[in-house]
Amino acid sequence: MLEIEGLSRNFGAKQAVDNVSLRIPDGQMVGIIGRSGAGKSTLLRLINRLSEPSAGSIRFHGQEVSQLRGRKLRDWRMGCAMIFQQFNLVQRLDVLTNVLIGRLNHRRGALAHLASLFAQFTPAERAMALATLDRFDLLATALQRADTLSGGQQQRVAICRALLQQPRILLADEPIASLDPQNARVVMDALRQVNIQDGLTVLVNLHHLDTARAYCDRIVAMQSGRVMFDGRPDELTAERVAAIYGVSEAEFHGPEAERPAVIPMPAGALV
Amino acid sequence: MSGAINPGGHLLSAAEVAAWRARMPAAFGPTGEARLWRWVGIAAFLAWLGGTLWWFDVSPQRMWNGLNGLGVIVRLMIPPSPGEQWVEILQGLAESLAMAFLGTAIAATIAIPLGFLGARNVATNMLFRFSLRRLFDGMRGVDQLIWALAYVRAVGLGPLAGVLAIATADIAVLAKLYAEAIENAEKKQAEGIAAAGGSPTLVMRFGILPQVAPIMLGHALYFFESNTRSATILGVVGAGGIGLQIAERIRVRHWDEVAFIIILMVITVMAIDWLSGKLRRRLIGGR
Repeated sequence: MLEIEGLSRNFGAKQAVDNVSLRIPDGQMVGIIGRSGAGKSTLLRLINRLSEPSAGSIRFHGQEVSQLRGRKLRDWRMGCAMIFQQFNLVQRLDVLTNVLIGRLNHRRGALAHLASLFAQFTPAERAMALATLDRFDLLATALQRADTLSGGQQQRVAICRALLQQPRILLADEPIASLDPQNARVVMDALRQVNIQDGLTVLVNLHHLDTARAYCDRIVAMQSGRVMFDGRPDELTAERVAAIYGVSEAEFHGPEAERPAVIPMPAGALV
Repeated sequence: MSGAINPGGHLLSAAEVAAWRARMPAAFGPTGEARLWRWVGIAAFLAWLGGTLWWFDVSPQRMWNGLNGLGVIVRLMIPPSPGEQWVEILQGLAESLAMAFLGTAIAATIAIPLGFLGARNVATNMLFRFSLRRLFDGMRGVDQLIWALAYVRAVGLGPLAGVLAIATADIAVLAKLYAEAIENAEKKQAEGIAAAGGSPTLVMRFGILPQVAPIMLGHALYFFESNTRSATILGVVGAGGIGLQIAERIRVRHWDEVAFIIILMVITVMAIDWLSGKLRRRLIGGR
């Protein structure tokens, strides 16, 4: 159980995340929707502690994580892997090394740290990375540089890196906002697969309601840093969207609605 | 939905690891020949390092003696003293600064068009670009000090020789750096200008120059700072500036006055560094 209690973050006078409270059971796939600037990204970054909260608490299985420092903080971050909109792979390193970066915090001791500095990984770690790449159909790219891959491939490499962290939570910040519809679907399928097969809790920020409805067990709608809706996808009707955002669902998407939406798929059909 | 937690990225058995190694050996680090060549490379480097140390007779004994000698000089430097001719020292310092500024400004200006002409994505004629680049290489091969000696003979003793030496030596280096920056500029932005009907010159002006201007400015400011330091050397050969006064004081072993001049130079370079940092942030903006 991930428990967020009264979480706030302000940048100057702007309240990016405003008194958010959520309880997320293990293994749930939660879609967080809202316009740009609604506080979705900040919320995920607060959970990973890339941002520091101004107020409130984050607990995971009873452990308070908003005060962690040093080694314990790195362990927490390893446990809640982050997926970024721009993939955030190291472009000049090969795919295999990018994936192996997920193992760095698993290594203990000065000697292992030294080996990491020289990019020395054990055969077991390498085999683990290859098996994970194979799972997402990326084995052929293992020795290519990351910048030679398409966006969809890079995002799947990022998912592999995240999985090698052996996390319990996956935080995906707009993972498909830079992808075409076809690649967006492949990446969303991969996230759902990880959610169901590996039992990971997945928090995913999305621009499109359709995508969230198709893939998620639960939808959280945010506006101006506050949670305006929290419930099952079928409860978030067009009327509710209009009530929350004061616009029709088509208008909610704003200029980005011009882009074709992801074709909805029934959630169960993926595995 | 939750089920048993079964984290992704599964640990594999030894047999599975071996199977993966057999399937994709290249993913497990360099093999056979590559590994051999790596060791050959490391051995060659160490041999070269050891060989040169032996050749120049570098021994801990000599290093230690050298440090002692340096210690004596440092003791003679304390306390630093301006001596009696401190007005001349200040004048010399100002002259060095002015030489560096003028020389760098001339070099940076001339290097801009040369940089464009030397860039692969601008000058598409290979023969022309190749000749220009080799010309840069040739000019770079001759050090500032050699230029200074030549100009002292050509235009006589004084700061003019120094300014010309700085400018000549830096034109080629800056042109090379500018050309590389231009080659790394993003094509998309230039394409936007071309698509709007811009001529090749205007594509450079609006599509490429705004991208590379911060890099050019950064290089020019750094060269200004670096030339302020090297302008002291030019003085030693009579090309103007503070250098001559340092050389004279070293000759008569007035180390305390040398120390005073060095402190003034350090302060000057720090001031330039601070100012150029401010200027860069101002002109380049946030990033």
